[in-house]
Amino acid sequence: MPILPAINPGPVDWSGENPGILLKEDPDGPFSAMALFFRINYSPAGQGQALLLYEDPHKAAGPPTLQNAFYTDNVALAEHLRDTFIAKLAAFAEAPAFQGLQIAPLDRVETIGDPRDRYAEVVRAGDTQIELLWEDLGEPVALELPPSLTGPKDREMYTLLVESRRASISINGRKLKGEPAPRVQAGIETTTAFLYFAETWMWAQ
Amino acid sequence: MGEWMAERQRIPVNPGRVEWSGDNPGIYLKDSADGDWTSLAVCFRVTLSPHGRGRAMVVLGNPNVADGHPTADNLCITDNPGLFAYLKSDFLSHFPTFQGRESLLQAPVLPMSACRTEGDLSGAYSEIMECDDLVLRMTWREIGKPFAVEVGPDLCATKRHDMYSLFMEARAAEIAINDRLLPGRAFTRPFFGRETSTAFLAFSETWVTPNGP
Repeated sequence: MPILPAINPGPVDWSGENPGILLKEDPDGPFSAMALFFRINYSPAGQGQALLLYEDPHKAAGPPTLQNAFYTDNVALAEHLRDTFIAKLAAFAEAPAFQGLQIAPLDRVETIGDPRDRYAEVVRAGDTQIELLWEDLGEPVALELPPSLTGPKDREMYTLLVESRRASISINGRKLKGEPAPRVQAGIETTTAFLYFAETWMWAQ
Repeated sequence: MGEWMAERQRIPVNPGRVEWSGDNPGIYLKDSADGDWTSLAVCFRVTLSPHGRGRAMVVLGNPNVADGHPTADNLCITDNPGLFAYLKSDFLSHFPTFQGRESLLQAPVLPMSACRTEGDLSGAYSEIMECDDLVLRMTWREIGKPFAVEVGPDLCATKRHDMYSLFMEARAAEIAINDRLLPGRAFTRPFFGRETSTAFLAFSETWVTPNGP
């Protein structure tokens, strides 16, 4: 079936990778820890990497008390993502941890493993090492979501979803509490731990 | 919004089999608008495939010569030979610009010793891949605004896949081997109803084998 027009008329906001892990101690309860990683190859604020980490989403406190912070190697990029994207993701924006969220420098990121099996992003920020680990990975699925099926609701998205049925967030080797929980995206029964690759967001026309 | 979504007959979940995903920028150079290609290069940065993750760069500095490095400037560098063999046989060999080129088949596949990205999209942007003292460099300049593309097999370069991508054209570009520039410059070509350059950044690509006929 031909797909027309081939060129999406929506101006591109950003593009890159956006895997995440949202953990719960009780599948019916609130999130106990949350992480969203960004590896951006295009944005109005340039390229870069960033990790949004809520060690405790329910507390409006940041480092050194809690690792509730937005680590990045491009502050302008982090500000753009915080103000135009994360602020529109209810699960992140409505958490107390979003209030006064600190932007902190990121020193290095290492990608380990293979998204067909076991995959990790390891972020080093000063003396803090944060590991996001995705395991028990599913088959990749290409998605093209209209605004109504996205978190921000104001733009379209192309992405590649690989679900993870077992995942963890560790800070300096200490695993945060919780497990991935079930969720539904575009009619797919999936989980709150996911790899999103080749993701492009276009403003809705 | 609703009108053009309906026109495109798109569905949120592609039922096809994902082949690979990653970045796939290219530079195709000529000496004249109606001439044959003088120098070709593509770069792959793959995050997911049946053969794992990996990187590869192909440079055909003599695309019409059925020989490879060191006799001709035709060579490939990769850190994942299995992945590259798959990309070459199932994708690159079907791209119209590379189809039937003996130079691609004769180009030796060399092991990558280092790679890096330099610059940024507001100025000059380079992908660099090395095999010991052999350095391949692709550089894009005068980079335009990005646009998202989605095509089915009828418009896809391989004529057999669905493909999602982010494109940025570059009005000027260079291919170099050990800092020696290969001949030619970028020209424009028709591209889904637009005129765009033969030098382009293609990021965030996903290739899918469609289900059914």
